[in-house]
Amino acid sequence: MRIDIEDLHVTYAGRTVVAGAGLIAAEGEITGLVGPNGSGKSTLLRTVYRHLRPAAGRVLLSGTDLRRLSPAEAARHVAALPQERGGDFELTVREVVAMGRTPYKRAFAGEDATDRDVVARALADVGMARHAGRRFTELSGGERQRVLLARAFAQQPDVLVLDEPTNHLDIRHQVELLALLRAQRRTTLVSLHDLNAAASVCDRLHVLHDGRVVASGPPREVLRPALLAEVFGVRACVVDHPLTGDPLIAFDHRAPEPDGPDVPLSAPEQCSGLVPGGHTGERP
Amino acid sequence: MTSLLSRSEAAPRARTLPAGPLASVLGVLLLVALTAAVAWGSTSVPAGDVWSVVGRRLAGEAPRPGTNDLIVWQLRVPRALLAALVGAGLGLVGTAVQALVRNPLADPYLLGISNGASLGAVAAIVLGLGAGGALGLGLSGAAFAGALATFALVWTVARRGGGFAPLRLVLAGVAIGQFLSGFTSYLVLRAGDEQQTRSVLFWLMGSLSGANWELLAVPAVAVPAGWLCLQARARGLNALLMGDESAAGLGIDVTRLRRELFTVTSVLTGVLVAVSGAIAFVALMVPHVCRLVVGGDHRRLLPVSALFGALLLVVVDIVCRTAMDTQELPVGVVTALIGAPALLYLLDRRLGSGS
Repeated sequence: MRIDIEDLHVTYAGRTVVAGAGLIAAEGEITGLVGPNGSGKSTLLRTVYRHLRPAAGRVLLSGTDLRRLSPAEAARHVAALPQERGGDFELTVREVVAMGRTPYKRAFAGEDATDRDVVARALADVGMARHAGRRFTELSGGERQRVLLARAFAQQPDVLVLDEPTNHLDIRHQVELLALLRAQRRTTLVSLHDLNAAASVCDRLHVLHDGRVVASGPPREVLRPALLAEVFGVRACVVDHPLTGDPLIAFDHRAPEPDGPDVPLSAPEQCSGLVPGGHTGERP
Repeated sequence: MTSLLSRSEAAPRARTLPAGPLASVLGVLLLVALTAAVAWGSTSVPAGDVWSVVGRRLAGEAPRPGTNDLIVWQLRVPRALLAALVGAGLGLVGTAVQALVRNPLADPYLLGISNGASLGAVAAIVLGLGAGGALGLGLSGAAFAGALATFALVWTVARRGGGFAPLRLVLAGVAIGQFLSGFTSYLVLRAGDEQQTRSVLFWLMGSLSGANWELLAVPAVAVPAGWLCLQARARGLNALLMGDESAAGLGIDVTRLRRELFTVTSVLTGVLVAVSGAIAFVALMVPHVCRLVVGGDHRRLLPVSALFGALLLVVVDIVCRTAMDTQELPVGVVTALIGAPALLYLLDRRLGSGS
């Protein structure tokens, strides 16, 4: 299944946060959403997992307007990993993952063999099976994210929507989580702050700026110095990752000048590669 | 391979007890406590007599002369049942409100409903609406009317901005509750005589002394009905614990669920406060303790909280009736005296466990 977002407008707390965004998350691909803080990434994702209602425009699930489905029906197709931590309510890891079965269950229905099976598999998929009986709140940040991902798996969704899943994780857990996503080969829509992670894990990227999609395409085509300067306001050059060959963005952490005028930065030329001893993209 | 792992190096498990056996044990304890509540008091009745009186009454036979039929059937059985129903109801609303506002230390009285009920009841006592039946309501009726009016008011304020957000609900409830209790205090000050002031205080602290068969009717319907409403939404309650966005992603219509929960808990709280006053701490403590024992899943937590709440209040009421020779204590005084230290102990345990 795929997601088509058409001319989406979302107002949140009286402000138009998403203003005419459109994008496609293709079947079986990892589609990345990048953009500076406040560009509307989270808000856009919230309309896909139906926490927010669009003011205008549509979110289509393989051609069907998501708003035409019942909440439970939608949740059987689209599962979310939002950025929230939840309260301390003595839930075990297994109980949290079992919540993923909610859209399949009627009132008063207990767990059946299918539910137990799906939950066990989801726990195993994220490598948390042996922690099933632990309290959710005593897990580390990385373990929690994996459990919440297992909860999303337990929904048996066609589409995964993840809002900054690597936030607050150390680098190893970031790498593990993203590898887990890649291995799934599901239709995935994910927002990421880390542009290098996005460049290596996503099949396609959409760059959000002031509530609009300003660039779309494969990471290598999208993540160009000129765009990084214009949208993110940073100087950077893009080289080939020496290990993986993925695009690697090297940021210039000296710029911009803290007291300097707020003018668009000029983009350095695209760098061709890392040259030992030399540098590219020097300050003009 | 994973299953091998799970057997060979099992990680530490949360210590929870299975809910089924626990519920059975609580059920048996509740029966014992109810029997004790009927047997003990200023006049002792042997436990065997308790059940023979109840048995004859239930079978529709005439009471045997010379037994304690009147004390057992007209006074103590309704009172013990009222304690059980109110305790169960408080356990249920406490559990639901804590999920509704996503705070394990929340209390249904936080939403202002009990303040409205208190104002209604106190107005009835002080202005004499109850005695004269001026509105055809009586004390409980006045309290329930106060609860419903407050519910409507808090609803109107909390729904603005769209979503019954937890913080908004709590702020609206607390603000309106404080406003109403200001009125209540004014009425208490104005109360004509000492007797009035005493009965107002007694009522405000929560008491089961008004129990009779007539008073039982409404909670006897409302508490089981409320339980069914909440139990049907147990998965939704679970989802709310993780946050509104998670719940939405799990296919819950969060705003609608909050509306339903707020309605069910408000009506149930109104019924409970109307028949027994605002009994402190039970609704806060019971779910909290039960969560430590059976975990946070509402499918188990709701029935266990109801049973434990019932058991607790029946036992506390025995203490209230028998602790002092000359008069009985309001049940709310004892629940507060037990509840506050218990809460501190639990907080200490929670913080001490280093989570």
